[in-house]
Amino acid sequence: MTMLSGISRKTLRDQRFGLLGWAAGLILLIAMYVAMWPSIRDQPSMRTLLDQMPEALRGLFSAGGADLSTPTGYVQVELLAFMGPMLLLIYAITTGAAAIAGEEEHRTADLLLTCGVRRSDVVLHKAAALAAGVTALALVTGAALVAEGALVGMHLPAGRVAAAMLHLALLALVFGSLALAIGATFGHAGASRAIPAAVAVLAYVVNGLGQVIGWLRPVRKLSPFYQYLGHDPLRTGVSVAALLVAGVTVAALLGVAMLGVRRRDFSAQ
Amino acid sequence: MVRFDRTTPVRAPLAHQLPDGRVSGKARARPAVQLRGVTKFFGSTRALADVDITIDSGEVFGYLGPNGAGKSTTLRLIMGLIRPTRGSAEVLGLDCWRQAAAAQQLIGYVPGEPALYRKLTGQQHIEYLSALRRIACLPRAEQLARRLDLDLSRRAEALSKGNKQKLAIVLAMMHDPRLLVLDEPSTGLDPFARDALLGLIRSHAEHGGTVLLSSHVLDEVQRIADRVGIVRAGRLIAAERLGELRATSLHHVNARLGEPVDPAEFTGIGGILDVWISGVEVRMKAPQASLDAVLGRLIRHRIEDLSCTEADLEETFRTFYGGTDDHVERHQP
Repeated sequence: MTMLSGISRKTLRDQRFGLLGWAAGLILLIAMYVAMWPSIRDQPSMRTLLDQMPEALRGLFSAGGADLSTPTGYVQVELLAFMGPMLLLIYAITTGAAAIAGEEEHRTADLLLTCGVRRSDVVLHKAAALAAGVTALALVTGAALVAEGALVGMHLPAGRVAAAMLHLALLALVFGSLALAIGATFGHAGASRAIPAAVAVLAYVVNGLGQVIGWLRPVRKLSPFYQYLGHDPLRTGVSVAALLVAGVTVAALLGVAMLGVRRRDFSAQ
Repeated sequence: MVRFDRTTPVRAPLAHQLPDGRVSGKARARPAVQLRGVTKFFGSTRALADVDITIDSGEVFGYLGPNGAGKSTTLRLIMGLIRPTRGSAEVLGLDCWRQAAAAQQLIGYVPGEPALYRKLTGQQHIEYLSALRRIACLPRAEQLARRLDLDLSRRAEALSKGNKQKLAIVLAMMHDPRLLVLDEPSTGLDPFARDALLGLIRSHAEHGGTVLLSSHVLDEVQRIADRVGIVRAGRLIAAERLGELRATSLHHVNARLGEPVDPAEFTGIGGILDVWISGVEVRMKAPQASLDAVLGRLIRHRIEDLSCTEADLEETFRTFYGGTDDHVERHQP
């Protein structure tokens, strides 16, 4: 196992400054949201503003029934609906794209893929590093929310926050695995960043508008954003069904990545 | 930790008979490299066509050809990086594509372009690859670095082209592989490092290891190889013992004589080409094997000036293995 963990370990080691930067950014961002909370809580007009928004717009903010004057409602609208997933997705997609396509882009694939490690194992252990990185960032986000919130009296239930972070990590992992699969199968670093980003925007819109547009409603459940936020994890906790769907999606995408990487020619460019 | 013993059983009691009739003491039961009818297409571009190569254990095989002829493609195929469209490639009985990881454990590879992690030092490269190969390589790697005069404490991005190449060589040899696959390994090396590399290759072969090295420099291959394969436009057009290749290597002979000569004096000399005589000036191209005869005719006259230079490999190729083929891979370095 040392051989295999070597790849994951190196991948994480390469990212150590990047990960620290991401973590610091998330902590600061949450501090900013937390600092604004007391003033927003005492501002009934914010609630009115949300209520007056067209339903479609409210859907996009995933603010269906969110009450901005409660800590959970505030966090849901401000952080979980958009900013949090966007940041974690950027991290996951760039990391997934770098896994195989990035090694090719930097011409290091010739080294990595000729030292006696099976290609599918390389994919698996790059995926393990991705999962570890995403988990670390989700943990930091959750811990910062609970700890920083407590400082200003914005008390959040730790268990529910953990559930939301679990679903958030899986959401990021779905798109990170998609980037990894595209990179492993086609070796194109640009495409393996751009396509998952575009799919994520689409999935986000489908989930948001699916709440109000009738014909989108059945499609909505296919959106990874629905698996993430559809059951309102800050209020209801973990949804096993959503976990399963996201888990199976990740597994399927990694399967595609392993098959794709094994079939490919790595020719000199 | 599994380490592979370099010695493979000798085919007993009959030793292996070489094409030139000599009996090789290094003969082994199983070829180190065996390519059978290997054809490779990239899209509709044919990079290799029906290449057959057998390299015995203990042999140093020089793989020569102009740039873009298919040398790197052949080597990448042996490394399991690309899949043959038709035919098969085996290393010590392992299929290079289907059993790539197992085959790679037995091979050390220097790619055509150094493949290094910019931010890692030489030492860190060694540690990483040792972990991936599950072999403790550090002592051997340090020994190799000393032979090549390479500083392992610097990051790859801070290394010169030659030092990057040295690091690639250390990484390819540090696990004592049974087969070395070297894609133009002396690129960028200074003469001292080049000599050190040739010494390392030689001692690898003396210990029973096999070497496949590609080059477009005939001189380098002449110093080291037992046998040479020449590839052109994706086809292996010759695989000869070095002596035979040397005999064909083309020389430009230019002379100015004391008196006018009769062109008829040079008839009957094998292999000479483009004979041009104008009064006292004589120019021709002659394979090395015919130089003696050419000079024999020239010294019948007083020689005022004489030069004899070896043509580059490209010209030798064009002359003896001529022909063009439009289906050449163009940019495979």
